[in-house]
Amino acid sequence: MNSRLPMASDSSSMKLKLQRSTRRRVGTGTLQQTHTGHVIRRFLVAMGDIRQSLLPRDVLSAAKELLYHLDIYICNMVQSGRQPPQVDSKTLDLIEEFILHTPKDRNSPVRRMSALQELQLLEIMCSCFQEQSRDTVRQLMFSALFNLQGNQADESRMALLSKLVSMAVAVGRVPILECAATWLQRTHRVYCVRLAQVLVDDYCSMVPGSGPTLHNIHSASPRFCCQFITAVTTLYDLTSDELTPPMELLQMIVSWIQDDPRLVLITFLNSPLSGSQPISSLDMTPLGGLIRWCIKAPLAYRRDKKQVNDGSSDSEPDTARLFSALHLSVLQVFMLLPNILNEKGLFGRLALLQMESVATLTSDLSRLLDQADKHTHAATGNTHAASQLALDRLAQALQVAMASGALLCSREDLRAICSRLPHNNLLQLVLSGPVMYYNNIHTPPLAYSPHAAHSPIPAHPTLPPHTPHTPLAAHPAPHAQYPAQPFMTGMPFPFRPGH
Amino acid sequence: MQSPHSHTAPAALSTQELSQEIKSFISGVDAVQGRKLSVREHARCAVRLLRSVPACRGAVLEHLRGVYDEHVSTFLHNLETEGNASSGATSNLEDIIQEVHGVLSEFIRLNPRAWAPLVSTWAVDLLGQLSSKHAGRRVAPHSSSLNELLQLWMSCAATRSLMESYSQCLAAMLAWCPDACVDALLDTSVKHSPHFDWVVAHIGSAFPGTIISRVLACGLKDFCSHGAKDQGPLVEKGSRVPKIGSVVGILGHLAAHHSDSIRKELLRMFQESLAPSTPLSPSSSSTSWEASPQLRRAAVPFLLQLAAMSPNLFGAVSSELVQGLPREELDNMLGLAVHLISQSPTGGARVLRFLADTATPASVIISGPTPSPHEGVREGCDRLLQMLLLHLHKLVFNRSEGSDVGPFGSASSQPQRVIPFLEELRSHVAPLCAETLRLERKRHLWLHQLLCLLSVYGGPSVATETLCQLLTQARNPEELALAWQLHATLSSCMAGLVPAAVAHCVAQIHTHTLGWRQLRQLLLNLAAALQSSMAAQIGSAVSVHLHDFGPLLLHGDPAVSHAAVRLLSCSPLPRTASPAHLLLLSRAAVTHFFLALRRRGEAGKTGRVLLLTRFAAYSALTLKAILQQLVEGALHKGNAELFGGQIADMSGAPVASPSVSPDLGASLLDINCRFGTTVNFSGSVWSVFHAGVIGKGLKPRTAANLPDPSGVIQNIQTLLAVIVQCCSSSSLNGSQSPSDPEEPPPINAEAAKVIAVTLVENVCPDVANGELSWPPEEHARTTVERDIHIRRCFEAHPVLFPLLQVVAAGRPALCYCSAVLRGLLATLLSHWEGSREASSTDSPWHLQASCLLVSCMGEGQLLPPVLANVHEAFAHLTPFEVRLLLLAVWEYVRGNGPLPQKFVFSSDKGIFCRDFSRDGDVSRYVAPIHSVLHKNIDRLGHLCWRFQL
Repeated sequence: MNSRLPMASDSSSMKLKLQRSTRRRVGTGTLQQTHTGHVIRRFLVAMGDIRQSLLPRDVLSAAKELLYHLDIYICNMVQSGRQPPQVDSKTLDLIEEFILHTPKDRNSPVRRMSALQELQLLEIMCSCFQEQSRDTVRQLMFSALFNLQGNQADESRMALLSKLVSMAVAVGRVPILECAATWLQRTHRVYCVRLAQVLVDDYCSMVPGSGPTLHNIHSASPRFCCQFITAVTTLYDLTSDELTPPMELLQMIVSWIQDDPRLVLITFLNSPLSGSQPISSLDMTPLGGLIRWCIKAPLAYRRDKKQVNDGSSDSEPDTARLFSALHLSVLQVFMLLPNILNEKGLFGRLALLQMESVATLTSDLSRLLDQADKHTHAATGNTHAASQLALDRLAQALQVAMASGALLCSREDLRAICSRLPHNNLLQLVLSGPVMYYNNIHTPPLAYSPHAAHSPIPAHPTLPPHTPHTPLAAHPAPHAQYPAQPFMTGMPFPFRPGH
Repeated sequence: MQSPHSHTAPAALSTQELSQEIKSFISGVDAVQGRKLSVREHARCAVRLLRSVPACRGAVLEHLRGVYDEHVSTFLHNLETEGNASSGATSNLEDIIQEVHGVLSEFIRLNPRAWAPLVSTWAVDLLGQLSSKHAGRRVAPHSSSLNELLQLWMSCAATRSLMESYSQCLAAMLAWCPDACVDALLDTSVKHSPHFDWVVAHIGSAFPGTIISRVLACGLKDFCSHGAKDQGPLVEKGSRVPKIGSVVGILGHLAAHHSDSIRKELLRMFQESLAPSTPLSPSSSSTSWEASPQLRRAAVPFLLQLAAMSPNLFGAVSSELVQGLPREELDNMLGLAVHLISQSPTGGARVLRFLADTATPASVIISGPTPSPHEGVREGCDRLLQMLLLHLHKLVFNRSEGSDVGPFGSASSQPQRVIPFLEELRSHVAPLCAETLRLERKRHLWLHQLLCLLSVYGGPSVATETLCQLLTQARNPEELALAWQLHATLSSCMAGLVPAAVAHCVAQIHTHTLGWRQLRQLLLNLAAALQSSMAAQIGSAVSVHLHDFGPLLLHGDPAVSHAAVRLLSCSPLPRTASPAHLLLLSRAAVTHFFLALRRRGEAGKTGRVLLLTRFAAYSALTLKAILQQLVEGALHKGNAELFGGQIADMSGAPVASPSVSPDLGASLLDINCRFGTTVNFSGSVWSVFHAGVIGKGLKPRTAANLPDPSGVIQNIQTLLAVIVQCCSSSSLNGSQSPSDPEEPPPINAEAAKVIAVTLVENVCPDVANGELSWPPEEHARTTVERDIHIRRCFEAHPVLFPLLQVVAAGRPALCYCSAVLRGLLATLLSHWEGSREASSTDSPWHLQASCLLVSCMGEGQLLPPVLANVHEAFAHLTPFEVRLLLLAVWEYVRGNGPLPQKFVFSSDKGIFCRDFSRDGDVSRYVAPIHSVLHKNIDRLGHLCWRFQL
């Protein structure tokens, strides 16, 4: 542990080190709760003393020393097994004062780090997290440093965090990325989006040629990568130029998901099922955002193109191809879901795709379509094709999501949501099709368990097939199976779970 | 879509390598080999990090500051040592700076939105830091010599590269966030004020249009957000005005080369702020501020504030701003407007006229070219004008104290504060005076007040000028009263104003800057002033300059000369005056007198008579001069005809006009003139005599062309009146009794003597035989020529006899005419001797001359009454008898010489008298008289009693 942190060379830190070693011996010797509490209290007293010893230092060495003591403190805390392991407010104050440099009170001088000192601090943090072997300690330390406290220090906290993560991406510090992934799960989405924005700025626009570095995160830390995708899709909602993802980013995400569709679900797979998602945090999966991208893309990018005035005529088919591939990948991810849900016993109980987000999406879409109609009066074939493509994708996504149990809602609800959209054959089919089979059945979302799902199906073939489905009648086997299984077994999906 | 890699970009480093790289960068030690990095390697390392690790951006840029600083230091050091020993190191760093510059410019080119704000802030800040830090170096020129500074820094690779980077950023950013980059520039400019100027200069001249408008827009925004409390113009002195100061500085700097653009921008801002707001402004250059009504409203105060802070800028906007002032209804701007007007260096006169025109109440009578303005506007202007006057009043009268009165510290620091408005109006005094004198309702009150202030401000010179203008331009007593009001106000604070004003007027007269009308008016005004309450002051002032007014008597325009007479005749005469001036004045007065006679028909001769009399009475010198000149003038060729005379040539004979005697091609004078130059004996020299050329008979007498007998008489009367008045009014004789007002005062003897002497000089050029006592009658042959001349003079100038009479009245002055009398008598004697007429009446002129001569001599008491009375008989006698009587006269005078010492002063009568009893017995001279009386007793009986002894 001593080798992990840079040695403080002066006598006071030596003294502290001695104190620590004696305390550790005491701590390990006696495991009584009261005694450990006593030790911690003593240590807290020591932390209060630390402030006095830190004050005369220059900014960098003070920050370094505080990190050092924090490490010891958290180790002690974890060892003592106090529940819940939480850093007390005095320490947080110290962090804010000596690492984030928030003025403690009005009369204390404002200490600032130069950019070089900050870089040194970041470097030290990087190695510190890298070398900490215990995940818990690392996680606690990260939380202590970067969990938002809702005070004025949050701004510098965010700035430091952004730089740290950006640097971690560059030098491939996996532990930091893992911690950041956790942070992204727990923090309000506004801040998550800011972090994602910094990364995108750094790697996709500021420094040319640094894209591959960011690309590597999916192999370094899939969890972080997944959270990153979620944050990015939340950030870029395609409502304006600024909120359109850069090409490089898009390519990156498509290739990630193409390479490994399960990447998208990693957070979902790894998170405990406590259902204790913090309010306003990011979605569990980026699926909603990705669907939104795919559906809005034909309209949004067409609008871009019109503004750019054919400046990137070659990039348009490129984008179209990318989104098409993305759409396919997303649908494939949906197909993965039923098995996973079934394994977790959550099928029909957990909606990965929120109804509200679908409603927002459809209303956005209808507005976009209206605009498109308005802007191009003589609706060219292009516009028409684009809007039909968007509607097609919506229909596909809805169908697959519902079938895969990611979207839990009735068709009535869907119809209500989609009522303002223009006509589209496929959408019509999706909205109305199954109603023909059981026109009096409201599918209650919560009652839709895997077992319950199978029960109505045998009744199906008895009903007369509806005329829109007559083309499908040519293939009786899949048609007959369709309601029976959440996905069509006859379809040549390579990623069918269980195969 | 991979971004193009530069050739220096390393092939993507592994994370391990990057980590090493960061460690090396932080420690400055090569992480692998463990040796210290050179500056160059360190910089290379930094550039690599810049390319690959985004999080290091800030640190790298910060590190590069050091590299640039190092380079500048080396550069300056090399300049100072002037050695190129260390040029290798310099070139090394130059190389790395080139690399950094390349990387940065590539980044900016690829992604201007992300990089331009970052790099521009960094570059500007670093530039500011470098310029300030190295400003004290020996080679660095002083910050005031901008051009040298610019040359120095632009020759340094580091600063040049920074400048280029900044320019690139600016060019990129102008498209989408122009305010941000100018904000940074302004902030830095404030921070590193004088040393940073070269950057602003360079940037400003590279992007004049945009920089100016951006700077203004920035300043306006800042003014709008911070400047609410600054609107009160007089209280804002010490408060914080962060950006407007540097806005003024930058614009002031650019004004040297881009004043036109600045003016255009300012005006555009002004006009657009006044124009009705349009939601979509067509002008593309106007970006943001027109859209916000708040900013629009702040534009005019902002401009005013700018103008208040910089005279340069104010010069650019003043004239056009004025047109907008009355429309401005913000009360708190009134004071600012007043301040600005008072600080305006140009256009003040226009402003004033505009204000006065607008503020003057509409009148039915006076309708200007423009329709009368709205009542509210008029009242506004009225108020503005009054406040302006009040403000000026304060400024003017607080000026000398000078400590803390002014609203702006810069102005009050000077000991004697300059008020540009008044400064400019100094050159407009004349029009202001003219307008004031129009006496239009309120207007002249304002203007009069302004003139007062202007005079106090400008000191004696302006005050004098003003007073002088008023004196020149006033046309009636009411207008003239303004001048005295002005004087009354000013007299308290400056002395000697009137003399100075009069001196100034005189100077103007000398320089002929006044037209005749003005001149006349000035003289009349001065004359009028001499009769007003100001008489004492004006009088003493004018009297000093009398000799300067003298020449005006001879002014070509009668009105002017007349006015000059008015002035001179009522101005007091100086107690002491130099003879030269007196002579000049008297000569002018006399000449004017004759001129006036020539211009007959003019009224007001009394004035002239009065003038001459006054001068004559002033001193013996003037009296003498005037009389002399009067006599000479009366006899002068040019004036002769006024008094019925004929023009006589040198010989005294009337000159025949060429038309009358075309054949007579010779005159003695001509021949004499030609003699020696050409030999021309066609008419022998010796054959030309005064009576004609031998062989050609007598010269034809010129036909007497008496112009206008009545006029001649009148003129003679006038002349005599003047002379008599001059002679009698002279106060030379202290013993003269002033008791009898109804009795005309006696002719002064001295004066008469002057006339006599002058007469002799003029009539009798030959001084030989000029003694007073008479020789025997036979001796007259020696002076035939002279006598003929004298007789001809009398023939040609009828006025001589009256003059003689005047002389005779002033006994014993006639004695001095002895030579003339003798000559005339001699010719008369020879005439009567040669006359073959039956009666003396056949030669009327000679008869008259004889009578007048004798009576004059009697009056002058050269003859006793018995002899003096003989002339009464002349008309009844034959020529020979007349000769006998005249001979008797001659004999008496020869026996009893006409000497002044024979006269004694009788104090009771106040005149000199001759006691004939002291002389010899008269009876022996009376014998011929009695003989003639006896001979003609039938006709002369009634005269016998006249010749009783």
